[in-house]
Amino acid sequence: MKFSDQLRFVRQNMKKNKTRLFMTVLATAMGCTFLIVLASVGFGLQQSMVDNIVGDRLVTAVDIYGKNPDMHKDTNVYAEDIAMFRELPNVKAVTYRNYIGQWLNPKVDGEEVGSDRTIQVDFEAEAEAGFALSAGRLPQQDNEAVIGYHIREQLDEQGAPSGYKDASEWLNKTMTLEAGYYKDGEKKTQPIEVVIVGVTEKPTKEWNRDKTVYVGVSMLEQLEALTGTQNGELPYFEVENPTAEQIEAALANMPKPTESRSYSDVQVIADHAANVKGIVETLRDKGFYNHSIADELKQVNLMFAIMKIGLIFVGTIAVLIASIGIFNTMTMAVTERAQDIGIMKAIGAHPSVIRRLFLLESAMIGCMGAILGTIVAYLISVAVNAGLPVIIKQFMEEEVPSGFLFSVIPPYLAALSCAIALGVAVLSGYRPALRATRIDVLSALRRDV
Amino acid sequence: MIELAGVNHQFKIGKRGKERVVPVLHDIHLRVEKGEIVAIVGRSGSGKSTLLNLMSGYIRPSSGEIKVAGKTVTKLDEGEWANFRLANYGFIFQSFQLIGSMTAYENVELPLVLKGVASGERRKKVMQLMEQVGIAEFAGHYPSELSGGQQQRVSVARSLILEPPIVLADEPSGSLDSENEKILLTMIRQLNHELGITFVIITHDEQVASIAHRAIRLQDGRIGGLV
Repeated sequence: MKFSDQLRFVRQNMKKNKTRLFMTVLATAMGCTFLIVLASVGFGLQQSMVDNIVGDRLVTAVDIYGKNPDMHKDTNVYAEDIAMFRELPNVKAVTYRNYIGQWLNPKVDGEEVGSDRTIQVDFEAEAEAGFALSAGRLPQQDNEAVIGYHIREQLDEQGAPSGYKDASEWLNKTMTLEAGYYKDGEKKTQPIEVVIVGVTEKPTKEWNRDKTVYVGVSMLEQLEALTGTQNGELPYFEVENPTAEQIEAALANMPKPTESRSYSDVQVIADHAANVKGIVETLRDKGFYNHSIADELKQVNLMFAIMKIGLIFVGTIAVLIASIGIFNTMTMAVTERAQDIGIMKAIGAHPSVIRRLFLLESAMIGCMGAILGTIVAYLISVAVNAGLPVIIKQFMEEEVPSGFLFSVIPPYLAALSCAIALGVAVLSGYRPALRATRIDVLSALRRDV
Repeated sequence: MIELAGVNHQFKIGKRGKERVVPVLHDIHLRVEKGEIVAIVGRSGSGKSTLLNLMSGYIRPSSGEIKVAGKTVTKLDEGEWANFRLANYGFIFQSFQLIGSMTAYENVELPLVLKGVASGERRKKVMQLMEQVGIAEFAGHYPSELSGGQQQRVSVARSLILEPPIVLADEPSGSLDSENEKILLTMIRQLNHELGITFVIITHDEQVASIAHRAIRLQDGRIGGLV
């Protein structure tokens, strides 16, 4: 018997008792919905928590905090350490940030830029690490810079954000940085011009504001050449007008650009998340304090994996309860169609054909229930994510963090639930199907023997 | 075509442990030749339906051997019997045994569906045969909308749709009036003559037995000779 004929046959039979079919499909759909919605809470909370942990950081990144003084002469990370990190196996890039040691008062078209700091980065390494831009490109020339996404954000009197202006409007404009330095016993300034070629991506966290000006190493070298100090840092004086001797003395005590330089915000980027663990262990063995999100995520993911398995297990019980309905429906169908089955067997229907027809019927019930259940589960998930924050705000006067999801249904959860519903439906239809194959022809035909 | 050698059959009745054995058929030796119409006659309870059920494979003999078309069928399992029935037998039942939820067309088509014949070919064959037996105009009717004679013609069409070499008929005219009985018997004779189909007919009707080449009487489970 061809599969298309089997389907036609099953469809015909299913139409015989539409109410019973509807109720059975409804029960299966409810079981499937319960399973998906329940598990989706686990997925939603996990995603929200992971997003909160990860934020704008990379899962492949290992943060270096410093060195173990028991194993090294001090805690600072130097250029030779960075060179060593680059040589480690499975390391894709090493990034760092050098904070410029003075306020450069950046201006574009005479307008003061609301920047909070200027940082020198290695753009080549940042590109490898996935430095994300919302507009423009990374610098390729010495006099190019990238600005933070919020650099043009306006603030009210209390310093709270009051309006956003698109930073990308400044692309290809020249930014003037006012470099201060001491010469001949007095403070002087010299403008350094850079072209804005890129704008960073908006930070994931709502409260995070990126108002940084990112420059390359050549800009830092220019600044250091002027100041004669590392990172262009200027000495601090307690008196308003320091004397030339005081200035000279202060400058003499500051680290020179030629001296060994310590790097901050050093990140070692692994080529793959799976290799983070190995890099972390190697660095610890070499006496570097470090931390990776992968460590945190491992614990969180393990906890949520256990939680999700538990929720899916509980949800599966609902599907199993629904399967009692399918078993009942199929048993009744076999009883009602005993004579038809007998006739079919009498004229030559193979028992496997009879079994297949009933298994197909229960599978179709399971399939319809799973599809309906999945659609309803998605609707509930959307409603929960939209409605629950409002309810919490209304009745508990608590603000749910923006982007927080109570329920997430990844496609594989929907597929897994459908597979469970289908599998359970076929299993519950198996015994009635077997009973159908065992129907005695003569009894079914009601013939005297 | 069909050969029964030393076939015995008995039923067990009563509760398990307190069963009673009731012998139904005793040492049956019977040979039905290809192209023959054989009628098996006898009173109620003589064992004629049991004999047909043994030939059909619905029950198994307690002892003895049955050969059909040169093949020993006694040891076939249920699945093999199903395939064998589909390939070699057509069945006509006293109470027609049509599936009530299927139209006349679908009932006739059923053996072709079970055999996996393509739908285009099925349609052609079914309509052709329904026309031959004079029920083409009732193709879309359900059995409950047909008379007894029309239902039996649907049943005959279903039994012949796969062009089987053997047709087993159990009291085929039992539910028919005399006019429809005449039509049915004419049809059986014609099919036998034109297509060489072998018929084994169980009946207690002398009229039906009269169209057979041979009529065998069953008496208390034994072959009592030719009528």
